[in-house]
Amino acid sequence: MTKRFPLILSLLAIASIVLTACGGGAPAATQAPASNEKIEIRFWGHQAPAFNEANQAKFDEFMKENPNVTIKYETFPWDVFIQTIQTSLPAGNTADVILIPGGYTCRYAAGGQLLEVPADVMTLEQAQEVFFAAPLGGQTCDGKLYGFPAEYNLEYGGAYVNPALFEAAGVAYPPKWEDWDAVVADAKALTQVGSDGVMTVAGMHYTNSDQLFTYFLAGILEQGADYFAEDGKHFNFNSPEAVATIQKLMDMAQKDQVVDPIIFNADSEWVGDSFAQGHNGIGVLGSWYAGDAKLAYPDLKFDYVSLPPMMGSDYKFASVGGWGYVVGKSTQHPDIAWKLAAFLGANQENVLFFNSRSATIPAMKSVAADPKLVESAPFLAPVLPILEFGQYQGNLTDPDQLAYEIVYPTILDAIQGNLTAEEAANSIHEAANQMVDAAE
Amino acid sequence: MAISISSLFKKEVVEEGGKLMAKQRRFAYASLIPILLYMGLFTLFPIVWAVVMSFFDYTPIREGSGFLGLGGANPFIRMDNFIELFTGTSKPAEVFRLAVRNTFLFTTLVLPLNLAVTLPLAVILESINERFKTLFRAIYFLPAISSSVALVTIWAYMYAPGWGLLSMMFKAVGLVPPKSWLQDPNTIYFGVPLAMIAVVVAHVWQDFGYNLVIFVAALQSIPKTLREAARVDGANTWQEFWLVVVPLLRRTILLASVLTVISSLQVFVIFQLLTRGGPKNQTQTMLLSIYENAFRFANNLGLSAAMSMILFMIILVLTIVQFRILRTEWEY
Repeated sequence: MTKRFPLILSLLAIASIVLTACGGGAPAATQAPASNEKIEIRFWGHQAPAFNEANQAKFDEFMKENPNVTIKYETFPWDVFIQTIQTSLPAGNTADVILIPGGYTCRYAAGGQLLEVPADVMTLEQAQEVFFAAPLGGQTCDGKLYGFPAEYNLEYGGAYVNPALFEAAGVAYPPKWEDWDAVVADAKALTQVGSDGVMTVAGMHYTNSDQLFTYFLAGILEQGADYFAEDGKHFNFNSPEAVATIQKLMDMAQKDQVVDPIIFNADSEWVGDSFAQGHNGIGVLGSWYAGDAKLAYPDLKFDYVSLPPMMGSDYKFASVGGWGYVVGKSTQHPDIAWKLAAFLGANQENVLFFNSRSATIPAMKSVAADPKLVESAPFLAPVLPILEFGQYQGNLTDPDQLAYEIVYPTILDAIQGNLTAEEAANSIHEAANQMVDAAE
Repeated sequence: MAISISSLFKKEVVEEGGKLMAKQRRFAYASLIPILLYMGLFTLFPIVWAVVMSFFDYTPIREGSGFLGLGGANPFIRMDNFIELFTGTSKPAEVFRLAVRNTFLFTTLVLPLNLAVTLPLAVILESINERFKTLFRAIYFLPAISSSVALVTIWAYMYAPGWGLLSMMFKAVGLVPPKSWLQDPNTIYFGVPLAMIAVVVAHVWQDFGYNLVIFVAALQSIPKTLREAARVDGANTWQEFWLVVVPLLRRTILLASVLTVISSLQVFVIFQLLTRGGPKNQTQTMLLSIYENAFRFANNLGLSAAMSMILFMIILVLTIVQFRILRTEWEY
């Protein structure tokens, strides 16, 4: 007996490992439930006060219209959100509906983790009539529609301006910039340097990760070039247009000195909080921050104004797409899940409500044209005219690695004076194409 | 009544004693079942899974065809992940090799600084009045038990360029502070980036309480007679400390060193929140690389698992080496 006990215990330990391995995974979706059956739909989103309030209001409305449905709204801090989705995917316990960040839909759809939008809910052709191309591109994978875009992510074409700093510097307010040189001229006047020679207020803070990446791609497009190579997968990041764009970004810091990139970047004096604390006069950032800024800094006086093209005379830019409503393949109630996703993302009135409350740019054309939008979210007005000039960024293989590990650090390094524009462009070109080759 | 020794070895007594022992053993084994199940589920399985994953090109985003999603779209690639990390030219591999160097640099800086602060402080603490000893021990141990995130947030404000507390203190005494404590890639002292020095200081401040408590306990166990004998022989305070106390603390120093090295090699929170590996990957560490490749870039869990295996081997080797160097063959 005594000899058998350690053996039994070892078997129990092994059994626990095997049971763990075999556990998880949701059973396949059942047939459509009876109309009075109680159903719980889990909805995942990230923690952003403006988004959460807007979504919750619509959940309450949906539950009133569908009394047998309970929506369980779970939110996560941004950094944790993506991890939560990724770890839940193989376990098969992802939420029924997810408000997924831009650029991630096709990654998960390609892995078979998301459901396609049923044709009776909306076809791709119908979606192309309803939504702008750029945000719709983020929800379209291999010619199939996988979700409804909730917003049009735009880190281009607009900037926050601080009237107090403009007034103190004697610069005309509100600014109406005809071209990029006018922007830089005002930025130079707004810059403040302490007695120790250290910049205390950046005239224009554009050296954030998303902004450098967005303006790098946009700069190439504005000059009439493309950042994709001919095969549509590899990149062309050492073109003369790419070098010229990087040089422009460098010159603004090194020659015009509108920002000190060592003090102001993504990890130090992040553009949004830096602007709200009065440390930059022009903060280049998407309009989405207006909602958060109003909540976090209720006394802050600011406006959101349009920026002219940086490298040309015409607006041209690439968008990551934007947040979108998708349905996970592990859902037990796909019909209800799609009903909710369409209620939130394809219903004009609800889309208007969400975009107004969250100060996000609408992905839906009719909402963008609705005067009620600007009445409730005046910060959106400057960028609405340029929405039609945007395109979806395309299949960047790994958008996060490209943006945050390759493009941003390299361009920041060049702006800080450690690389020439050519060196930076070549480095980005090589690393980006290696990334594509590794993925193949 | 006297019991003869021979009676203790009578067959009936031995058999009776054997049954009791068996019952006690069964109880002990049964009590271990819950913890074994827990460890199997939350410790052993993840370790085995990580080892297995390191030989696959695995991401949870792709639907594999085999056991737990392995195989099919997540193919078995043998040692390719390890070869890539050691010799590959991809960005993740290059950054990882840099991260290995940075992790060693961090540990090399933290260990002597930590010991240099905690050992003398422990001796001073040991010599003061009993009332104040407890108070100061609690004060010095507070950072070790406080929330890492909260402490790092405070340090981030202290290190803020221009208006942070440290910069203000520098200006107050007439010194010129660095333009940026955490984001200037061009400020390097003796080959060590300023950002790394800043993180080391913040980490040692947060962490030294553990070793301090260990050393205080060890000092209390040193027989007073040995120190008195040294004083009688004419040793001054420094000689007593260096020639008597420190050698007697060799085992404790070994323990503190091993624990400090193991924890330093796995520091994550302070790097993630203070610098995120910047500027220019000067504070990129192995844990950061593992995290970023697993959850930010390409979700390449196979590559991240290979990185974690390499980290495990490094910790194992260093621990063995430390035990060999600092072992003692005497006791007191």
